[in-house]
Amino acid sequence: MSKSVRKGLSIRAKLTLVALLLLLIPLMSYIYVRDMKLFLIKGQENALSLTARAVSTVLHDRPELFDKENDRSQTEPEDSDIYVVPLASYIRLDGKIDDWGDQISQASSITESQGDDKKSQIKHLLGYRGSFLYAMFDVTDENLVFRGKEFLRTDNADHIRMTIQNANQPAKRYVFTARESGPMSIYLVDREWAYPITGKPNTEIRAHITATDTGYLVEMRIPRFLVPANARIQMQLVDVDDSEERAIKSLVSTTATSDNDDFGRILLQTPEIDKILKALNRSDTRIWVLDANKRVRTVVGNLSSKPLGTPIAKPEKPLEQIRYYYDRGLRYIFNLILEQPHQQLSDLGNDTETRSDQVLESALQGQSVTDRRPSLDKQTVIIMAANPIWSGDSVLGSVVVEQSSDEVLSQQRRALENVISVTLLVLIVVLSSILFFASRLTIRIRRLRDAADNAIDRHGRIKQQQLEAEARAGDEIGDLSRGVTDMLSRLSQYTHYLKGLPDTLSHEVSNPLNVVNSSLHNLSTEYPDARHSKYFQRAQNGLNRIRSILTNLTEAANLEQAMEAETFTLFDLVKLVRNYVEGYQSSNPNKSFEFKTLTKSLIIDGTPDHIAQMLDKLVDNAMDFALPETDISIRIRRDDEYALVDVINEGSELPEGMQERIFEPMVSLGRKDAQKSKLGMGLYVVKLIANYHGGRVSARNLRTRKGVIFTVWLPIAGGFQEPMKVPPKL
Amino acid sequence: MIKTVAIVEDDIDQRENYADALVQHGYNVVTYANRRTAFAGMQAQMPDLAILDIMLEDEMDGGFDLCRDLRNIAPRLPIIFLTTRDSDIDRVSGLRLDAWDYLTKPLNMQFLAVRINSLFRIVDSLNNKPTETSEEIESDDVLRRGSLFIDPNSMIISWKEEPLSLTLTEFWLIEAMARRPNQVKSYDNLMQITRQSYVERNTINGYIRRIRNKFKEIDNQFDRIETVFGVGYKWKSNRT
Repeated sequence: MSKSVRKGLSIRAKLTLVALLLLLIPLMSYIYVRDMKLFLIKGQENALSLTARAVSTVLHDRPELFDKENDRSQTEPEDSDIYVVPLASYIRLDGKIDDWGDQISQASSITESQGDDKKSQIKHLLGYRGSFLYAMFDVTDENLVFRGKEFLRTDNADHIRMTIQNANQPAKRYVFTARESGPMSIYLVDREWAYPITGKPNTEIRAHITATDTGYLVEMRIPRFLVPANARIQMQLVDVDDSEERAIKSLVSTTATSDNDDFGRILLQTPEIDKILKALNRSDTRIWVLDANKRVRTVVGNLSSKPLGTPIAKPEKPLEQIRYYYDRGLRYIFNLILEQPHQQLSDLGNDTETRSDQVLESALQGQSVTDRRPSLDKQTVIIMAANPIWSGDSVLGSVVVEQSSDEVLSQQRRALENVISVTLLVLIVVLSSILFFASRLTIRIRRLRDAADNAIDRHGRIKQQQLEAEARAGDEIGDLSRGVTDMLSRLSQYTHYLKGLPDTLSHEVSNPLNVVNSSLHNLSTEYPDARHSKYFQRAQNGLNRIRSILTNLTEAANLEQAMEAETFTLFDLVKLVRNYVEGYQSSNPNKSFEFKTLTKSLIIDGTPDHIAQMLDKLVDNAMDFALPETDISIRIRRDDEYALVDVINEGSELPEGMQERIFEPMVSLGRKDAQKSKLGMGLYVVKLIANYHGGRVSARNLRTRKGVIFTVWLPIAGGFQEPMKVPPKL
Repeated sequence: MIKTVAIVEDDIDQRENYADALVQHGYNVVTYANRRTAFAGMQAQMPDLAILDIMLEDEMDGGFDLCRDLRNIAPRLPIIFLTTRDSDIDRVSGLRLDAWDYLTKPLNMQFLAVRINSLFRIVDSLNNKPTETSEEIESDDVLRRGSLFIDPNSMIISWKEEPLSLTLTEFWLIEAMARRPNQVKSYDNLMQITRQSYVERNTINGYIRRIRNKFKEIDNQFDRIETVFGVGYKWKSNRT
């Protein structure tokens, strides 16, 4: 009957799933934007290449730019020249060397061999940025000795000495010393380097010392006005190893000293190139000019990009707050899926070096090249373009232009942000419309289903021929509703016809029967003797039998009509059956009935008259088939939510395959009494009544002796729940 | 005075058989085959009682229509429906039209005569004329049991002073039970009381159901007629 239905997704869920396909749009955009990024980077490379070419074109055939300030550059550089590199950014005096940029690779290294096979290594670098000179010392020192608190002398701890000699002025001696890691104290000291000239430390020069695993690191900053163009400078590292003796163990000069003991001269880059490039100073592009010896002549610009997405203050208005949270939510999603541009680039390290070198090398060989390299933190890509500077046929140097791809990234991000936020908005709108639509659809279908369910009651009778739900809707659901209505009315017509059939039949037979009946009567009055004739009696008998058949025929149909007219009441089945058996016994004294019950009372909801009628049929049937001198026993028991009534008689068994069929109309097992009409409607009536009460009926042969047991299941009131539970099969 | 009975029946065999039987019982009989001739004939000369079939020739409800028409010209004419139609709806329709009885075929001619006799007796008693006593009625005494009042002469039963609209059969059944309160009337007893040719238990159940419903229209709490399952019915007396 009812097929097992696979539990499926609801219409709402299905439509939602389909709507989720809209998520492909941001995915598509992501792929598209990613391709666009490559394209943009290509474009950026071209632009950078053009910039490099333009800059180098300006510098073409102007060897004086490289010569004028440093005429020795073309010849062997003098030993005592101190080469100062331009720095890409200002240096923070914090003991970290990551802000020194690529220039850290140009640091020179001095290895001083000391006694006991110990070697002390000193890496140092001088650079400038703006109006400051910067110096860095990375020193290997086994015993870092800080200045003792109790000592006034400046030379009894590890310290740095700096001498600056301006033309025609006495040399100034500075000592850099410290009591602990952190800012150093700088004093102007006497000729013996022993005591400060004044007690006050110098504040124009700043320095910072940090103890490292192997020694210490010093960063210092000297204002350029202290070191004019032709000033000479010398720096020495003083090593004190024994904190008790505090004797100077070694003294290493980090600036080259010539044989004539002159101090080194500081060589800064050519201001001419600076001037030319000044106009190109941009915050997102860095331009290097290098000479043929790969020395950096100048560098302008920065590699930082504009600050991105400054946090927006939380607004007051609720509508704007929604926007604010929406934006923040989006930003969070983007951070998960997109490359982030970086505001401050740290791009130093050895891995970047080789590639810059390659670019530079190619440029110095006269080629114009572009390349990309990752920044040190691998977070972004630096695009580089290099172009040679020509002087006639020889290469004077090269221009290297660098730019981070952050601009492209943030453009990509912006594009994607737009697409995604629009898509999300669209998705939300579409999803909610679909949910609304699906809910409406579901509600309508459910309403129609309920209406269709209610049109036929649990006994299969049509209660409503006209479905009200959705009947006026113009779409397919409306069609369905009208279709069901149509179906119901055709069904009801047919049911009506079927129901009327026995009535019509009985009606048609009744009339001639009545003719015979009245004729017999009149015959008997015309010939009073006929009344005593056995043939008259038999004719009367026959008439009664036909009448009985007609009654039986219409009984089933009339029963349904009658049951519809009845209202269900709660009553005790045990009491009813007990009374019934007693009553039946008294009206059939020649047959013995046995009544057994295992429960005191079983309340069921139904019509007592029909239950009694059902018992009539069952007991009549049992009496028909019971062997003489045997009891007919009637039992009541309870099985879960059902009250069971058994009617048992001894006698012939049910033939194979009759157990189910016996309850169908017009099925009879033959009869014992030829006088009694056996139309096979009795057990059908039993089934009708049982079904009408939400129960069922079964018949089977007894196991231990010959006989038949009929069992009726009737739902116990309270235990009955819609939808009707099918009672268990035997 | 000889009473005239009109028979309206489209089946000639049945019609003539009824006529013969009733003539035998000493009535004057007029027969009609369809509604039009019946109405015209009865309009011309009103009978003392009319027996109508419901289906008349091609008219499904010809008997009902005729009954309605007759009521207009003769409001107090006793009318009996004699038909094969056995549904509750037809019974109710018939009684709505103020029919005095509703009988189903086949009917024992003997019983038909008894019924006709009873009806004439009621007419007479309503007209305050002296009546013959019929053997079938156990007592002429007016019966009063609590809220129940039975007048066998005018065949009126009322409950809580409200008269019930009953057919002859229903009246006999109630009277039989009420005369012997708390005594079970078996199906066999009740079958006899209906005075019909052949009655099944179901038919009795139907009568009792309709009777109960009629009482319940007056008194929703009515529960005096008790089913004795497997045996029959009994009238429960007042708990006093």
